[in-house]
This record gives sequence, structure tokens and C-alpha cells, in this order.
Amino acid sequence: MKLLTHNLLSSHVRGVGPRGFPLRIQATEVRVSPVDFNPDFVTRMIPKMEWTALVEAAESLGHLSELPRELAEGYEKDEEFLRKVHHVLLEVEVVEGTLQCPESGRLFPISRGIPNMLLSDEEAAS
Amino acid sequence: MAAPSASMDNNNPNHPKLSKTEKKFLRKQTKARHTLLRHEGIESVSHATESLVIANGGLGNGVSRTQLLRVLERCGSVEALLMPPNKPYSFVRYRTKEESKRAYATLNGKEMVDDLGQNITLYLNFVEKVHWQGLRPPVLPPGLMIVEEIVSPEDEKMLLESIDWTDNSLGQNAQKSLKHRKVKHYGYEFRYDNNNVDKDKPLPGGLPDICNTILEKCLKEGHIKYFPDQLTVNQYEPGQGIPPHIDTHSAFENEIISLSLGAEIVMDFKHPDGYTVSVMLPQRSLLVMTGESRYLWTHGITPRKFDVIQASQRQKSGVITSDAGNLTLNKRRVRTSFTFRKVRRTPCDCSYPLFCDSQSCHQNETFPSFPENDKEASELEQEYVHRVYEEIAEHFSSTRHTPWPQIVAFLKALPKGSIVADIGCGNGKYLGLNKEIYMIGCDRSQNLIEICGERQFQAFVCDALTVPIRSETCDACISIAVIHHFATAERRLATLQELARLLRPGGRALIYVWAMEQEYNKQKSKYLKGSRDSDEKKEHFSSGVLASGPLGEQNPGTSNHDSVCSISAINDLTREEGSNANGVINSKLPVHINRTSFHSQDVLVPWHLKRGPTREKHSEPQKLKSDPVGLPDSTPIFHRYYHVFCEGELEAACRMLNNISIQQSYYDQGNWCVIFKKL
Repeated sequence: MKLLTHNLLSSHVRGVGPRGFPLRIQATEVRVSPVDFNPDFVTRMIPKMEWTALVEAAESLGHLSELPRELAEGYEKDEEFLRKVHHVLLEVEVVEGTLQCPESGRLFPISRGIPNMLLSDEEAAS
Repeated sequence: MAAPSASMDNNNPNHPKLSKTEKKFLRKQTKARHTLLRHEGIESVSHATESLVIANGGLGNGVSRTQLLRVLERCGSVEALLMPPNKPYSFVRYRTKEESKRAYATLNGKEMVDDLGQNITLYLNFVEKVHWQGLRPPVLPPGLMIVEEIVSPEDEKMLLESIDWTDNSLGQNAQKSLKHRKVKHYGYEFRYDNNNVDKDKPLPGGLPDICNTILEKCLKEGHIKYFPDQLTVNQYEPGQGIPPHIDTHSAFENEIISLSLGAEIVMDFKHPDGYTVSVMLPQRSLLVMTGESRYLWTHGITPRKFDVIQASQRQKSGVITSDAGNLTLNKRRVRTSFTFRKVRRTPCDCSYPLFCDSQSCHQNETFPSFPENDKEASELEQEYVHRVYEEIAEHFSSTRHTPWPQIVAFLKALPKGSIVADIGCGNGKYLGLNKEIYMIGCDRSQNLIEICGERQFQAFVCDALTVPIRSETCDACISIAVIHHFATAERRLATLQELARLLRPGGRALIYVWAMEQEYNKQKSKYLKGSRDSDEKKEHFSSGVLASGPLGEQNPGTSNHDSVCSISAINDLTREEGSNANGVINSKLPVHINRTSFHSQDVLVPWHLKRGPTREKHSEPQKLKSDPVGLPDSTPIFHRYYHVFCEGELEAACRMLNNISIQQSYYDQGNWCVIFKKL
């Protein structure tokens, strides 16, 4: 699970609504794999992200890489910045660990890079 | 198994270090080898032999025999080319090792254009000869027998003249249209609405006396156990046929005999596995169907004016094999069949309960009923969708390799940097197609998602009814062949609502569901066409055939189920609990016969599991099974629940959402498709 993916995921336990985001990561195995840097792609992705959640997720994995807490003006032209974002979004993967719903505490396992978000019938929203 | 050494690389004997392209090619060749091993049990070897397996060069992925032969013959003399139906690979055997080595060197990585105009790359690997034995020899379906010249030409003439077609009870319209064969019943009326006989209402007159001689002979020679009491006479003009079907188990006893008068014909028999056998029935011969051929295989006659037959065997009965050198065309003439059957008075007790209307249990499995509430629907889906996909995941994944062009087009048209969710992504077929977008896939099946993980895709396990993705984050969503697995209209609507929720305003969703109408605008879908052997003539069924039942057509030219569909589409969302759209309470879900038309919207579709080698690395890889056509008791069969959609039904369901607008609505190869945009 890449951090870009994590930024899109939200707990859907019944009743938590928007408070199910962001899921807290507890990683036991993290992998860094190189991905070709595409500045245009990264630039387009940034506005779609929940920035604070991304920074927190990177921090929790020890990959803060000096990402600012807030986006600065003109980031599109800052290649060094874009490379850092690229690294965090696409090159860091959680291979083993758990995701935790911040509201209900429910744990979702991540195994071989795959989160299992399946809820039981009682837990799911009707 | 060793990777090909540098000595195999004929181009650079003095440069052991491989270029980037060569490395990439080697990776792909190795991948092809592993896939064949894992999914099909085909073991490649690194030493040269006369035989090669050609990955991506199969009937199953749109490569035709003529096309492939042309390419292969450039490298040497081809002794044999075996193209197993529906597989994305073939086997070629050259006369000498030198020739196969030449093919290995020159054709590896070769690009071709397939039937759909898509680029494909061939990967060749050497195989041991043993794989030839794995492919089934052309034998008659078990229980099938043909007796030649059972009547003399004089008797044939008498029988033909004895039928008076002028008082045919089928009706004026059917006669005038000349599209459909003429039918006449004796003894008992065969009903095409339920494919059964009215056992309490025998027709006056019984069977014509003129038939007694031939029937006594059949009884004496042991072709039949009982003297028949039902006769159906069919007259086929060139161009007419009868759709594939199994004669209803509970209607008739085991032995069914059919006399071919006036002309010979080629009849097609199909095993539930999809395996087809074409059989020549000579003029004045008797066809005897018993056992497996009567209860399990479907039989039918393709409506066309020419049959492909063996040139050397013209008037001899037997299986027609695709032996390219020996085939020729035979012009059809008017054929009249006399089919004699004995009406069954007790429930059928055959060994093929899955296909039997008398038996509702199969190996302790009770077939489910149409669900009447959300809980029952969820249980049905758990048993007949989720559990099944977990069991068949590997085999299923091996059959899902060719992305559909229109879906590819949708994905490739998306702007760079789009975030796309594939809801029900299966084995991730679409996840890696467009490198300019960010795609995440989710599926209910852990095992299928694991295949996605192995392919390095972003994927997770969840239910389509409640997707754990933030609202309005996706630029696009696709849901291909997913929603038809939900058992109530409310649940299907809920999945559509989820898709809409995920989209940002302006985002678009593409949805594909299986269509009830597997034939549309007179074109049969690939599902109905089955094997893509290029030797088969691609004929179109006349539109009337789609109606009522497998044997007959009450209303030629119109579709009986049209009215059923439109009523159910409206009723489904508003019906009261306790009864389905047709007002039938607690109806059992029917089991569909693969590669035939659908007769009900809610069906169980069989999946015949082919087990390949297990995925653990330490286990022994198995060779290709010696019998690809598994017998019912040796091959596990799983049933998947489907609600197939009628024309307009998907669209109508989408219109119930108030936050989208429909952009496109179309039919694509047996599927109804909708693209909608979030407002």
C-alpha cells in the first residue's frame, strides 16, 4: 500500500462517517521501491491529496523528509520539493502492518501490501 | 529451470552482456513461461526440441490458425499446429530441431496484430513432446451411436410422403416467414413454453402405422428399451437449424432416436466445459442418443447453407475433425428428421443432477431459491459468489487476460494524473493499462486481490456495497462485470450509489453488466460463439430463435422475454416482499447451460474448475491434464449467481440516482454498458 493510496482510504465502519479518515498506520514492514519521477504527475496529484494526513502518514513511517506542514505557493516549480513528494506518495510502501480507524479503533490488517478492509455485516453501514 | 543462456541468443554470440531491450524481452519470456506453468501446467524446457509452446498465440486471445501458420511456416515445415480452443497459447511441432530453433530465435518477441486489431507479442518456449497426449482425440460423445442405412431408399420415400404438411398446427405466421423449420408432433404434443409434454393429454391417433417396421427393428436390435410413444417430425430447409439444447430429462426416457431422411446433416454436440464435437449424420442413418450424450451434452444444428465435412469420409458417419488438409464444403438439402421418444412417467434419476429438472440436489447441495429479502440476498451472494471466486480464483484469473477494447479506450482517454477506482477489479486486468493515471482496485475476493498484489498493483479487499474510499476523490470509476452478482435490485442500486459517491463532480463512471440478450442486432456475442476456431463459419441465428425455449419459437421475429424484462425492470424496485417480478413465490434459481441463451434473469452459472499446479514453490508442477474435458464427477463444478440485465435495465437503475447524468448507454459483446457523469 502506497501512501497515495492510504490518502484515499477511509474507515467505513457504521456511524463513523468522515471521522474515519485518516486511518492510523502501524507498520511492521515498509519497503522503498524506486519509481520513475514524473513532475507533471506529482503536480497534478498534490491538489487531490489531504496534505496534513499525508504528512502525518509519512511521519509515522519515519519518512518525513522535511515535508512542510503546509503547502507553499509556487510548489509546482520547486523540483526538489516535488521529488520529496514523489518519494512519499509513490516510493514508500507498507508491506505488513495495520490500519486503524481513528473513531472506532477497528483494525484492518495489511498483508503483502494488501489491506483487508472487509467488514462484517454488523459493522458495515446499512 | 534455467533462463535461456547467452548461447541461445543468435545475434550476439560474442557479447554476453545483454542490452536493456534484451533484458526486457527475457523478463517477458520468463514471465510467459511461469504463467503457462502456473495456470496451465505447461512445463517449458531450456534445451531445444521439435516442439514449442507459443504464448499469446492462441485462439483464446484472437489469433487465427491461418495467421499463425503463415508466420510459423516461414521458419520451417510445420508438422502440426495445435490450437486448443479458448486458450491464449498454441503448440507447434516442426519436422526438425533446426527448424524449431530457427522459430525460437526469430519469432520470440514477434509482434502481431490479432482479430481485434490489437498488438500482441509472441513468446516461444521449448516443450517436451509429452504435451501432445494432453489434447483430446476426436471421439463421439459417450452414449452416442450412429447406425448407417437403417432404412432403404424406398422406405425413406414412403416415410417422407406420409407426412402431410398442409395441416400443420404451428400456425400461419411461422409457415409464411420461411425462417423456421416445420414441426409436427404425434402421440403427445411437445410444448415449447416449458419444453415438456402434456403427459395427460395424448394426441389422438398415436404414432403413424408406417413407423412400426422401423421401430420394431430398433427394439429388436437393442437401440431402444421401450417402444416409443412420441414422435416429432422436423423439416429443415437449407439455412434452418435448431439451437443447442438438452431434451428435458423428466419428459423422456434415456434413449432418444432420430432418423435423418432426405439429406445428411452435421450436428454439433457441446459439453458443459465448452468442448464441441461436430458429427456427420448421413442420409438414412439413425442417431441414437443415450446416457451422457442425451443428458449432459447439448445438441443443435447451426442454421447455415453449407456444412464443413471430411472430404474423404463424405457419407460416413463420425466426428469431423479440424484436419486442415481434408475438409470441404457440403451444400445442404432439405432434411426431415423423425425423432422418436418414450414419455417418462417417473421423475428422472440420471447421474447428471445439475442438468436435471427432476433432481434438485447435487452432491448434498440444495439449489437456492430466489432471495426475498436483503439477508437472504447476502447469504446467496456469500455462498454463490464470494465463496466460489475464492475457490476458483487462480483458474478464473487465467481466463481473464484480454482487456476489452472499449474499456481500454475509456481508461486511455482519461487525463494524466487521474485517480481511478476499479470496483470489483478481479485479477487486476485493467489496473496497469494506463501508466499516466493512478488506479486502485478493490474486490471482494482475497485470492483475486492477492494476484493483483503479485502484479504490484494497488489493491485492497472490500465489499462493493461499502467502499472505504473517501467521497468525491475519484476522477473516474469502472465496475466491470460486478453489479450482476448482487441478488436484489436494492443492492444493485446501492453499488451504483457508491460509484457515484466516489466521483468528484464531473467525474465519470463506466459500468458493464452481463446482458440477458446474448444476441443483439442479429449478432451472436462471443460468449455464445464459444470457440474462436477460425475454421468455424460465423453464422447468425435468425432473430426468432432468441424467443421462448431451446426447441421452439412461438413468436418468430420477436423476443418473448422482451415483455418479461420490461415488467421486471420496473417491478423489481417496487415489488412487495414475498414474490418476485413474475409473482412466483419461492422459485428455485435455474441452472444455466453455458454458451446458450439466457431464459431467466436470475440464474446460477456453472464453472468447471481446472486445477493447475499449486502456487507453493516447493510443490511438483503438474503436466497439462490428460483430459481437459473433465467428467462431472471428477471436475468440481461451482455455481455463480448472476442477475443478467435486460435492455434498458441498467440505464433505468442509474436514472434513480439524482446526482448523475447518463452520457452513454450501449451494448458491447453480450454486456449492457453505461457511462455516467457526476453532477
